[in-house]
This record gives sequence, structure tokens and C-alpha cells, in this order.
Amino acid sequence: MALLEGRKICKSFGGVQALHNVDFDVAPGTIVGLIGPNGAGKTTLFNAVAGAFKPTSGQVVFDGSDITGLPANVICRRGMARTFQVTRPFAAMTCLENVMVAAINRYPEKPRSFIEGLALEKLALVGLADMERFEARHLNVVQKKRLEMARALATGPKLLMLDEVLGGLNTQEINQAVAFIRRLRDELGLTVLWIEHVMGAIMPAAERVIVLDQGQVLMVGPPNEVVKDARVIQAYLGE
Amino acid sequence: MICKKWVLASALILAGMCVLPLGLGIYPQHVLIVSLFYVMMASSWNLLAGYTGQVSFGHAAMAGIGAYASGILAAKAGIHPWIGVCVGAVLAALIGLGLGALCLKMGGIYLSLTTLAFSQILHIIIVNEYDVTRGTMGLQVPALMADYSKLGYYYIMLAAAVLILVILYWMIHSNLGLNFRAVQNDELAARSVGVKVLQVRMLAFTVASAMAGFAGGLYGHYLLLITPEIPSLDLQFYVLAMTVIGGMGSFIGPIVGAFALNILAEKIRDYGEYHVLVFGLVALVVARFAPNGLLGVWRKFRSSTAHPLA
Repeated sequence: MALLEGRKICKSFGGVQALHNVDFDVAPGTIVGLIGPNGAGKTTLFNAVAGAFKPTSGQVVFDGSDITGLPANVICRRGMARTFQVTRPFAAMTCLENVMVAAINRYPEKPRSFIEGLALEKLALVGLADMERFEARHLNVVQKKRLEMARALATGPKLLMLDEVLGGLNTQEINQAVAFIRRLRDELGLTVLWIEHVMGAIMPAAERVIVLDQGQVLMVGPPNEVVKDARVIQAYLGE
Repeated sequence: MICKKWVLASALILAGMCVLPLGLGIYPQHVLIVSLFYVMMASSWNLLAGYTGQVSFGHAAMAGIGAYASGILAAKAGIHPWIGVCVGAVLAALIGLGLGALCLKMGGIYLSLTTLAFSQILHIIIVNEYDVTRGTMGLQVPALMADYSKLGYYYIMLAAAVLILVILYWMIHSNLGLNFRAVQNDELAARSVGVKVLQVRMLAFTVASAMAGFAGGLYGHYLLLITPEIPSLDLQFYVLAMTVIGGMGSFIGPIVGAFALNILAEKIRDYGEYHVLVFGLVALVVARFAPNGLLGVWRKFRSSTAHPLA
């Protein structure tokens, strides 16, 4: 059974139909890529699934239950965590505090020492071990993305939704990040739904790729088939 | 983590505050009592504005609700002032809860304007319901104790302020405090990591309002005459200025600001209406050169001498 399933998800803003009957599913333990040209509706789909806003119609099923229209904080507690395309750290809080906020809401009854330990562990995992006392606003973009990843991991998710975590990284950093995301799946058993523009990174990492174009699913398949598909090439490059 | 140095410092300051009024005359004692009222007001407003980012202009109105509720109960129904003060705090909490709920979907300037409107409505009602509130003439209310003494009031206000500060300190340093600040920094991100944003905002509104109602009730029974000056915008902006000048979003800032501004106000009282101008100038200078308030200046000074890189 799929961990996450979208059934005929629609979302319109006024007269603009941003998502139109989007059907997709994410099998547990897989890395699934979500790609598509700019404005295809990838981030809108994330927002509709994770509860940032309600879909106009359609259904989101997560871990066996219907979560359509639930508030984001409830969905988070069910085991879905996300990062943001334009990073949204708690700017005036330290890195440690940023991650602690996620941890206290996952383990409200645990003592402070446990929470701090967990937060430090997640910061170390993403490579921010020495930054714990820095306020998040002092971080650079790459570090902010890592911080968001640590924050998402501290919510104890089953599904990690990543929104363009590789933007602004150089080749070496991209390789490290991809290896890291694979390790999250292989060692922690996380399922990953991953929006990415860096094709060279996501294609070898993902088992399956969902292609969105103009708010609709263009195709779903393994990466090697997707890159050769005439419709996908046309969507990216035009006629 | 509570640092030993700070516990010691707080204990020393508290001990100092206990003996401070003994050698002073009636007038300085009065200034200290009023300052303690403002400490409660500014610190509780800081919970709303400084920690959850809800810049409410209805905080003085909450103090007014506490003062008038307790005052009317005592003056008209003969209910003991201490019970009245508690009733006033509960009533302010309930109205704060309602006002908070009304403002839940609002942020920034919209929340400020809504609470400003609430404050003005309350003010107009109090001024016009002469039979109940005695309007601008003021409502005479009984004292908190049988034999009125400034010193007695000083210790009551000190105990009340310490109680409120202890509650605030505990809240800010518990999980709640982290949730408060997360909501202030970014509501959407807070929600995405599991923070119950609506609940957190309502809680801050309710607790801060209860504290203002409590402080207002005590203050009314100290003044013995309750006027619409308490739930006024003048008092609201005074509390705002204290918090901002002291250092918004820090625990100590509003305390320092309340004492500093109230004592300054007494010093410049001779200039009559011009003292408002001086306040404006002070606020302007602080906002321009020390956006984190007096406490921010102190921290900057500390970190530049102690840890050059921190």
C-alpha cells in the first residue's frame, strides 16, 4: 500500500487552476522525484498535501488515513515533514532552538536534556554541529537548507518532502547532499518525495519520477524512461 | 538552564527592592509603586508583542477591565477588593481570549488596528455609562487594607510583580516559550513542524490579558479613584514605549524600561505637556540607534568586550 496517495487533487486560485486532477502515489521506502518546468504546480502540490492550504477538491491519503484539509501541524504529527523552496528558518532563534521547536512538539513529555540531545544529533547529521549557538539569520542559503532539513528530521517523520534542496549548491555539495538523502532512506528507512530542478542529481537518486506540467501529471515512470519521453522533453524545451 | 550568577543577582535585587522604600519618603514610594504596576503591564505586554508577535493595543483596556470590574464590585456590591481583583483578572482573561480569537487570522497592522478599536470602544463605554462607572469623574473605590499605608501597598505590588515575573519567566523558558518565538518568527514554518499556532496565540492573549487585569485591579485599589485614564491609549503607548525602549522580546528589557521611563516621567513632570515630547524623542533615538532597546545596547557592549566573535 502506498504511504502517500493523491486522488484527483485540484487547486484553483481565483480563475487560475494550479492543479487539475492530480493522481499520484508514493510507495514506502522509495525516493520519488517530482519534476516539471517552472509554474507546473510542484510547490502548490506540496502545499496542498502538507496542509499549508486545502485542496479545492480531491483527496490526500497518508499512512492509511484521509488527511485532506487537516491543519499542517496535525499532518506533521502524523509523520509528514517538509522543507521550503524559499527557506523559512526561525530567523531570530539559534540553530539549536530551531530544531528544538520541532523536537518538543514531537516529544512534548520528554525532558529538556532529551530534546537538546535530539536536536544536537540532527544538527550533527546535517553537518551543522558547530553552528548550534548561531542565530539562523546569520546562516548562508546552503546552511539554511540544511537547518530546515534538520528541523524536518526532528519531527520524526515517515515521509520527508524536500522542495529544491539543491538550489545554489556546487557540484561537490550536490553529490554530498544526494548521498545524504540516500542515506536517510537506506539507514533511517525514510520515504522521500523530492522536488528538484537539478536533473543530474535527482535522476540517479530517484526510483520513480512524477512529471507535472501545467497543473497536470504528464507522466510517471522510472527516471531512464522519463528522460527519453518525447512529451517531457517538449514540456521542458517547447516545440 | 538557569545560571547560578543570575539567581544570585535576582535574589540580591529582590532583597534590595525589599529594603529600598524603608528610607524613602511618601513621594518616592509612590513612584516605585506606580513603576511596579508598569513592570507588570510592560512585561505581560511583552509576552504578546515581544514573544508571539501580536502587537496588541488593547492591553491598557485589559487593565481597565480589571480595575473597573473590581472597583464596581467593591463600590456598588460591597465585595471585598481582593476577591474583586481576582474576578477582574478572570474577566480580563475571558475578554482577552475573545479578542485573541477575533484576531486569530490577523497579523501585523490588522491585529493592532482591531485591538485599537476594541480599546476605544471600551473607553467610550466607560466614559458614557456614568451611572455605573462615574465617567470621567472617576469611581471611588475602597483600599485593599484597613489602614492605608504606602509601604503596605509597595510590598503588595512588589509581591504581585514578582509573582507575574516568575510565571512569565517559567513560561518563556519552558517549551511554551520556544513555541511562542517560533510563531513570532514564522507562523507557516512553525505549523509545518507541529506547533499548534492558533492555540499558542490564544494562550498568549489570555495569559497576558489576565495579568493586565490583575495589575489594573491592584492599581485601581491603590489609587482609590478609577478613571478612564487606565484603559486609555495614553497608558497603552506608555507601556509600549517602556517595552520597546527597555528591549522587546527579552525578559529583563520591559522591567528596566518600566522603571527608567516612569522615573524619567516624574523627573520631567515640571515641563508639563512637553514631557510627551521628551518621550517621543527618547523613543525615536532608541528606535534609530538601539532597535533592541537598552538591553540590546548592554548585550552589544558585553559581547564586544567579552567575546569579540560571538
